[in-house]
Amino acid sequence: MTEQRPILLVEDNELNREMLTRRLMRAGLRVIVAVNGEEALALMTSAHPALVLMDMNLPVMDGWTACDHARKDAALRDIPIIALTAHAMDADRRNALAAGCDDYATKPIDFPELLAKIERLKRP
Amino acid sequence: MNTEISEGDALWSDLLLRIIAELRDLFERSRESLDAATVEDFNRLFRAAANLETLLQEPVAGTGNHHDQMNALAALRGYAEMLREDIDHQAQDLDEALARLLKAIRMADANPGHGGTIGKPVIAAEPGFILAVDDLQENRELVARYLSRSGHLVVTAASGEEALRTLADADVDVVLLDLMMPEMDGREVLRRIKEHPDWRATPVIVISGSQDMEGIIACIEAGADDYLLKPFNPVLLQARIKAGIERKRWHDREEQYRQQLERNQKFIRATFGRYLSDEIVTDILERPEGLELGGDLREVTIMMSDIRGFTTMSEHLAPAQVVTMLNRYLGAMTDIIMASNGTIDEFIGDAILAVFGAPQHRDDDADRAVRCALAMQAAMADVNRQNAAEGLPELAMGIALNTGTVIAGNIGSERRSKYGFVGHPMNVTSRIEDHCLGGEILISDSTRQQLRGDYTLTNQRDLNVRGIDQSVTTYTIRGRADD
Repeated sequence: MTEQRPILLVEDNELNREMLTRRLMRAGLRVIVAVNGEEALALMTSAHPALVLMDMNLPVMDGWTACDHARKDAALRDIPIIALTAHAMDADRRNALAAGCDDYATKPIDFPELLAKIERLKRP
Repeated sequence: MNTEISEGDALWSDLLLRIIAELRDLFERSRESLDAATVEDFNRLFRAAANLETLLQEPVAGTGNHHDQMNALAALRGYAEMLREDIDHQAQDLDEALARLLKAIRMADANPGHGGTIGKPVIAAEPGFILAVDDLQENRELVARYLSRSGHLVVTAASGEEALRTLADADVDVVLLDLMMPEMDGREVLRRIKEHPDWRATPVIVISGSQDMEGIIACIEAGADDYLLKPFNPVLLQARIKAGIERKRWHDREEQYRQQLERNQKFIRATFGRYLSDEIVTDILERPEGLELGGDLREVTIMMSDIRGFTTMSEHLAPAQVVTMLNRYLGAMTDIIMASNGTIDEFIGDAILAVFGAPQHRDDDADRAVRCALAMQAAMADVNRQNAAEGLPELAMGIALNTGTVIAGNIGSERRSKYGFVGHPMNVTSRIEDHCLGGEILISDSTRQQLRGDYTLTNQRDLNVRGIDQSVTTYTIRGRADD
């Protein structure tokens, strides 16, 4: 378990960020956090996370843009991204997948399902 | 969306806030027994609840609000789930309150949009068999969940092809059809449904995004019955399903009635068409009570005709000539009997047995029979002209008429039966016929008594009929008195 690569959680909502961080940690995962798209890209570059959980509705730089950037960056292209969306709408899901996300989870998050998605996608 | 919900419907938000208030009460009472970390998590949960309450009081504004609402709900759910993991089972009431809260959150989640309703079915509808067609599993599950809650039976199909297979196998009441699907899209499915004779009447509700208004209009033109925009309001969904089911039920009842009517008419036409005039068949069909097909007693005027010496005559002719001659004669007579609304019971060789007064009694049955007989005799001249032209012998026909009560009904076995007549008057008619000369019309006294018109009757005589003790009085009829 040592030197496990972290999960990067990108979430501007404090309560959710705190809640998800704790739940992910309880599930045995290392978690680092970012509060907007810019921070997320910076951390993706520097911390090489195993996976990114990205809220799409973010200040400064939103999740869509951050995803787009990440997918165009050769160094970040392979980091799996799970979009966290607030909309149970097809358009949102399709957009998330089109923006290069590998999967999506709709808020309020079904945590066991999210964990399963993380386990499936995260890089070793 | 709020405005579309009728008064009295519980909004999920109301229920959620009520449960949070209960939870807060419980929490305040048991606060002393909880550890600091748990208290801290409860505080965070209530902060999320306060955020949600504030958001819910704002006038609904765009997706930003929705996003914040979902964040608040997400935090509520996350903390509630963590707290349930942490609280030991001694705080059972708190655990139960948290479970209720999570249930309310799931319902809120299942009702996207600000004003979803929860709980008992909002719109009571007759339960129906609904086919939900959507390529996305989440959507299928969502719809199935909403509609099952109202007691509907929901089957789902992930593609147009699957939907058509289900339609072929099951009697679907309403189709809920997503327009945007890979491969066979909703419009194609709709087209196939509306083309299919058995499915055409099944109401189709199309579902699409609001950006696809043109697609929806095209679908309604193509026969879709209703539409819903995504993300749809569950109350509207229920209402439209209800309307669809009602439409289908009406159609089913009408169809059943129509089929029953058609079966009856087919049966009656098949049973009577060959030996009743169209006029009588139509008459029977138009009688609302239909036709009693059981045997019943009828007073009828029976007509029996045959060609004098036909058997001997036919022995000297080629079979083809016999058939030609018979068909010409029977054809001409059949037309006249039908035109007089007589019922042809059967042809026995050259003999014709017909009845006036069954299946339908008319007051002028005897008169029509007599006029029919006169017309038949008159028509023989023409038949004989044609025969002479072909070198065939001249025919002379005798006709006997008798009136009496017979049993009329479907006679025979299940495998073979026909509408026919049984009774003594039938035999008497046959005996009278034996006494007829060529070109003669003999009527019994019972027929004479029924006549309303004036006819020239001659040659009254009493016939001793075989098998009958009494004699039968008959007359030769020459024509109408005013002729």
